[in-house]
Amino acid sequence: MSTLTQTSPRPRPRPKKPIGGWRWAGRGILAFLLLFTALPMAWMVITSLKSQLAALQYPPQWWPEEVTFENYILLLSPNNAVGQEFLQYFWNSLYVSILSTILGVAVAVPAAYAFSRFRFPGRQMLFFSVLLRNMFPAVVFLMPLFLMMKWLGLVNTHGSLILTYLTFGLPLSIWLLKGFYDNIPPQLEQAARIDGATRFQAFFYIVMPLSSPGIIATAIYAFIMAWNEYVYALTFLNSKDKLTLPVGLQRFFAEYATNWPGLMAASFIMSVPVVVLFLVLQKYFVRALTEGAVKS
Amino acid sequence: MTNLLGRKSVPARLSRRNILSYSVTALLATTMIAGSTTSFAANVDLTKWSPEYVKSIAGTAEVDTAAECAKVVPSDYKGRLSYWWVGPTQAQPEIDHKMDAEFWAAWKKAYPNIETDAQSLDYNDMLNKVRTAALGNAAPMVAKFPILWGVEFAAKGQLKELKPEDVGYATDDFWPGAMKSVTYEGKTYGIPTNNETMGFIWNAKIFADAGLDPEKPPATWDDVVKYSKQIKDKLGINGYGLVARQNAGNTPFRFMPQLWAYGGGALDETSEQPTYKTVELNNAGSKAALQAAYDMYVRDKSVPASALTNTQNENQNPFIAGQLAMMIAHPAEYAKMVDLASKATGADKAAADAVVQNMRYGLLPEGPARRAVVFGGSNVHVFAPELVEGGLDVDAARAFICFSTGPEWSTKLAWVGSNPGHLDGFTTKWMKERLDTIKFLDVTTSMLPSGIPFPVIPEQAEIMNIIVPDMLQNALTGKMTVDQAADDAAQKVQELLDGM
Amino acid sequence: MTIHVAHRSGAMPAPNLRRKPNLFQRILLHWNDYTYIAPALIVMLLVIAFPIYYTVELSFFKTPANLSMDKKIFVGLDNYWAILTSKSFWNVTYNTLIWTVFSTFFAFVLGLGAALALNREFLGRGVLRAVLLVPYVISAVAASYVWKWLYHSDFGVIGALSVQFGFTDRPINFLDNIYTALPAIIVVNIWKEFSFAMIMLLAGLQTVPDQLLRAAQVDGANAWQRFWHVTMPHLKGVSMVTILLLLVTNLNSFIIPWIMTGGGPAGATDIWITQIYQMAFGRIRFGMASAYSVILFIVMMLLGYFYVKALTRGDEAKVE
Repeated sequence: MSTLTQTSPRPRPRPKKPIGGWRWAGRGILAFLLLFTALPMAWMVITSLKSQLAALQYPPQWWPEEVTFENYILLLSPNNAVGQEFLQYFWNSLYVSILSTILGVAVAVPAAYAFSRFRFPGRQMLFFSVLLRNMFPAVVFLMPLFLMMKWLGLVNTHGSLILTYLTFGLPLSIWLLKGFYDNIPPQLEQAARIDGATRFQAFFYIVMPLSSPGIIATAIYAFIMAWNEYVYALTFLNSKDKLTLPVGLQRFFAEYATNWPGLMAASFIMSVPVVVLFLVLQKYFVRALTEGAVKS
Repeated sequence: MTNLLGRKSVPARLSRRNILSYSVTALLATTMIAGSTTSFAANVDLTKWSPEYVKSIAGTAEVDTAAECAKVVPSDYKGRLSYWWVGPTQAQPEIDHKMDAEFWAAWKKAYPNIETDAQSLDYNDMLNKVRTAALGNAAPMVAKFPILWGVEFAAKGQLKELKPEDVGYATDDFWPGAMKSVTYEGKTYGIPTNNETMGFIWNAKIFADAGLDPEKPPATWDDVVKYSKQIKDKLGINGYGLVARQNAGNTPFRFMPQLWAYGGGALDETSEQPTYKTVELNNAGSKAALQAAYDMYVRDKSVPASALTNTQNENQNPFIAGQLAMMIAHPAEYAKMVDLASKATGADKAAADAVVQNMRYGLLPEGPARRAVVFGGSNVHVFAPELVEGGLDVDAARAFICFSTGPEWSTKLAWVGSNPGHLDGFTTKWMKERLDTIKFLDVTTSMLPSGIPFPVIPEQAEIMNIIVPDMLQNALTGKMTVDQAADDAAQKVQELLDGM
Repeated sequence: MTIHVAHRSGAMPAPNLRRKPNLFQRILLHWNDYTYIAPALIVMLLVIAFPIYYTVELSFFKTPANLSMDKKIFVGLDNYWAILTSKSFWNVTYNTLIWTVFSTFFAFVLGLGAALALNREFLGRGVLRAVLLVPYVISAVAASYVWKWLYHSDFGVIGALSVQFGFTDRPINFLDNIYTALPAIIVVNIWKEFSFAMIMLLAGLQTVPDQLLRAAQVDGANAWQRFWHVTMPHLKGVSMVTILLLLVTNLNSFIIPWIMTGGGPAGATDIWITQIYQMAFGRIRFGMASAYSVILFIVMMLLGYFYVKALTRGDEAKVE
């Protein structure tokens, strides 16, 4: 394709005319996607500010005639039964997600280190079988996993969820962290060991800190996965006071008839923590998603 | 034997009646139970059943539950109990929560040494949860199920045999239809806790606006189709609250009455002595009922377009918002509407109050064949010892079942939504209080004799929750014609019965 | 315990003291290494390997409604045969294909468009990227309910808008109609995941060397040519991985169809996963559901093979 007809008199810093069309197309795409993304969420918020019957009008009120925060107050006030229940779900989700994230990292770090540093038989096979973890849909594992949780005595405890969730982040964590360790020269550790550190100390004080961006990245990914998980939580938990938010949300819907505004408010509240976390740690999250797939 | 209920003392051990017979002359029916001494026995004559009769017997007897059950299991019994049930939810009126709390307090007082672990589950998740739990030997000792579910577990041998006599009551103390629902292959696997049938509610104002008689419900299902169209055409409001969601229990509860009324059936459950062997889903009556649903949804577009994804819950708010004119309603729905209206604020409040004012209850429409309604309710069951987490404490279970299924608590725990399973509940003062305070209770209660239980076979959940809704959806989406949809469903049921 | 530390960097271990030790000896030699991966391995065995084993085993049994599980009947391959010969299987497979392929295709195309458009500095770029990513991080349960409400046949805002603008004279029954239900939920799925493709491709675009683009431009290549001949080849690897991950996610996605339509109306949105769930928990055919799952596993493993290949792209993939 290199047709050297025009020997380009002056290299322009920025492309000119022909690009205009493309740039406008790009803007068009972005504008469309922005609307596509934001409008449903906007309608969620608008609906959540309506009263129950105001939401059931046709044609709908484009903006609530009477803006009310009662749905939020109801859900978040610890003084009524609904609020207590909802807050309980919220804490359960938080607790399960945080614990499974921490444990997930604790399990992944040594494994990634071993995959990076050691050459033991079966290494490749094990490594790739770990990667395949998320290829199996939750639905088909419900029954066997329930039986296993039963044997482990974990049914109707948060332990069952933590054990299951901590594997969500594993493939990614191991993959990502292995990449990190591959890039940390082993000489660093050797130097530390010559100075009298044990192998574990060398690992813990030298290698771990260097890989902390990777750890943060995988942790946030694992947290979001755990926070949003629904199918296992639905199956493993019975007690109302142990449910997590996604299941609680569904239950909320079943119980409150078609309280669409209430449901929208609950969806909104439920989304806030992950969205905030994501916005704050965006850089890491993006890294978690893309690392490994992208090589220069 | 003490005569607790002030009825004429009749020597016990007279006769055990055929439970299938509707002529339960309960005055004679008494009990003699091996091993236990209590007996309430029914003080109720089902042949005289009418709203007036129900009112006349209410409040004629006294009962001391704790004392009676102490005769079955001593009140100082020390043990453990685990129990699953669908407890009251936030959507239910205050009184249900109050009764529930009172019940647990009374239970604690009656049996202070039984350590109780009670789990209230969500109705929509419960069946799957119990199935999984039973498979994993993680079942509770005692569970209260909606009337349909028990048979599946009984058929699998996962339930322990349990009959009223085991906890100091008599079989004749319960509705014969209800006893049918806990009987599988001649053995009894549970005790009815509460029974109810649905009624028909409509918005009198919408009826009047559409030029219909505001005080009269449609007399026949053909009228329902007609009224629905008239309302939609005149007012643009949806007429009948059709529901046809897949895999949702309340689809068959709303559609089977119509099917039966036209002379249809899933199997032969409408006959006196059903064998559950012949498939009737594609007989003329079934097809007529399906056609009527088709006419409303497709031809007249007079029912909510969202019917295919709706459950009954999703009809309540449109009704209270005045956007839906009539529907089959659970007895509890009136209380729920009142509750919804009481929670509404601002402009909503006026609208909702008006709807409650205009709400009317009546009998379900008739069809060419009969007036029919699903015989609903709940039963309590005991799981087989080997499936129970931590083993079964039989006496704790018996004490609990005696306590909760007796006249007192079977009435109180069914406060707004149902009726006592134990027939003597109808004679208690609480029944009188209910009749005095709950509007339309007499109407829904008087539908009970029209009640038809779903087929008592383990495949019943699949037929009712999957095949029947599928049939509706196939016809209503135009994927199949009415005939094809009915034939297709009938064939699926046949395959199921043949043990595919 | 430290003999075999860090002999990476080129020089292979050189354990030629003896003849090559057999596998068992080598495992023994390295047993200490395994302690590092043991926790991960044990968890994975519990949560993955056991369920797979159990599912495969159960797929050879019949579990009728009136029998308890320990009385299951061995039927060999009957379950597979029954599934593969049933009409509904092919309907469901057709839906699954439509769902997976269309979701993946549009998510990828939209993601690519967004990535290209975002791949230059402008004011608010970071904010925009973050906003577009929000659907990806929120819960699928919440997303399903939000969209169910948007689509609602009686009170939904989309139907109302289309009437308002005169596209239709009645609100559209998106979810209550066999022709629109599947496309409608595919849109939700695309909404949820296009930004995943976007972020992957955006990262991929960073690897396209600027000089190369500049050079092509100098050579007079127009925008399309530069995209097709310079940018695209650099995106090939990441595109492969992205598409494979999307395919896997879509084949596995349960929440959106289940909450929004439950597989209905009249089976129009029934895909493999919802069918498996329905078979296991709605109809209590665990044997049949397991056989179905195994079929799904096989497809997944196939995709998984390509995924690993795409991830390693030759350089890592030599086996010891």
